[in-house]
Amino acid sequence: MDRHALFTEVKQLLVTGLRLDRPAADIPDDSPIFGDGLGLDSIDALELVVLVEDRFRVSIPDEEVGKRAFASVRSLVDFITEERGAQ
Amino acid sequence: MGHVAVTGIGAVTALGGDVGALAAGLVEGRCGIGPLTRFAHAGRCRLAAEVPELAPAAATAVLPPATVRRLSRPDHLALAAAEQALRQAGLDPVLRERAGIFVGATVGGMAESEDAYRRRRSGEDRRWRLSRLLGTPLSTSAAAIAQAFGMHGPRATYSTACSSSALAIAEAATAIASGRIETALAVGTDALCRITYAGFDALQALDPQGCRPFDRDRGGLSLGEGAAALVLEDAARARARGVRVLARVLGHATTSDAHHVTAPDPEGRGALAAVRGALAAAGVPSEAVDYVNAHGTGTRQNDDAEVRVLRAVFGRRLARIPVSSTKAQVGHCLGAAGAVEAVVTVLALDTSLLPPTATLLTPDPAWSDLDLVPTPGRRAPIAVALTSSYGFGGHNVTLILGRGE
Repeated sequence: MDRHALFTEVKQLLVTGLRLDRPAADIPDDSPIFGDGLGLDSIDALELVVLVEDRFRVSIPDEEVGKRAFASVRSLVDFITEERGAQ
Repeated sequence: MGHVAVTGIGAVTALGGDVGALAAGLVEGRCGIGPLTRFAHAGRCRLAAEVPELAPAAATAVLPPATVRRLSRPDHLALAAAEQALRQAGLDPVLRERAGIFVGATVGGMAESEDAYRRRRSGEDRRWRLSRLLGTPLSTSAAAIAQAFGMHGPRATYSTACSSSALAIAEAATAIASGRIETALAVGTDALCRITYAGFDALQALDPQGCRPFDRDRGGLSLGEGAAALVLEDAARARARGVRVLARVLGHATTSDAHHVTAPDPEGRGALAAVRGALAAAGVPSEAVDYVNAHGTGTRQNDDAEVRVLRAVFGRRLARIPVSSTKAQVGHCLGAAGAVEAVVTVLALDTSLLPPTATLLTPDPAWSDLDLVPTPGRRAPIAVALTSSYGFGGHNVTLILGRGE
């Protein structure tokens, strides 16, 4: 999958999976995922781990990895790309 | 025991998004029962009293966006009704902070849980999703109200089938009368869902032609949905702050049939004890009652038992007491029914407009002495009104309300 398509898919997953009331295309590539970025809370964090693991067949084993992967949309795309490369 | 005033009311029903729409719809005899559209149902009945699509209450903007996304439909309905009641009562932030919240409900986020189950079964969700189940508990409406309006007093949620929110009002009034709190918000809220719809239909308790309470040809109830809210406060405090008193809670009583899981006691003994107990608690003789807002579901069992109770209490004077069932217009809102009917009764006391029994076509000849208030209702000043709610399993609650002054 090319990188642009992966960005689109991640943003789409955020919007549909977490039922966000905004178009996926409006989310900047460097948008933080938590904090004020998308209006998510700790429950969304639990949800997002499940969604990302199921959709992209990657593993987010602990909080340390999660923090790195979910820092921003771009870091999540990077994380998925790395994990898939390692598989 | 202190006196309890009603200083704010709110309602979201099939007749519209606020009390004004409810009041207008009631006296016009408008029927909010129509085709069931919220979900597919293959059964005997396809009718319901659905709340039309509404914009979220302004107060939802106060809540974190992540919380708003996960509110159930009953939470949204409750917030809208609460907002209207609190606005009318004009409670400032300090009064709100100490106020109690008393909610009656029976389904909570059942409709949302049903959706989560279907998504999981179909494979659309590969695992159970926490966010789709967080609205399930009955207690979430009270929590959302507390957070949206900054209310930090005692908080409770009651679930006693169709008398849930009548009980919430009774408990709120008790808390005020005992001096424990000065202000309370009592709320009833319930939304249509597949489980209750299918359950009532399987019981053959739904009338496929729409409910006709007290009609000769009554064949069951019509399910509805909605929310209603009442601000109750210590009457002396209400007077001191100069707010208009819409009505007063004069007394109430709660009893149990101990008879059957769905059928009311055919003799109506539990219901009769609730009515007599409420009159006694109010210190009001039965001769003083000049309007009854009946439970009036439209099932043969309920209406038969209810008329028996009214005859036992009022005797020959029953012929001169207007009795209406507004479920003919807003459906049976289950956990919200008691609060919706309390708001309807407050309106009758406050406006001197008695709502009709709107779908009555052929009065039951056995009850030819009953004054069931034909459409479009009636203008008549009343001073004391009685409203009863009889829940499945024999949960009986009667409220006696009086004119404001």
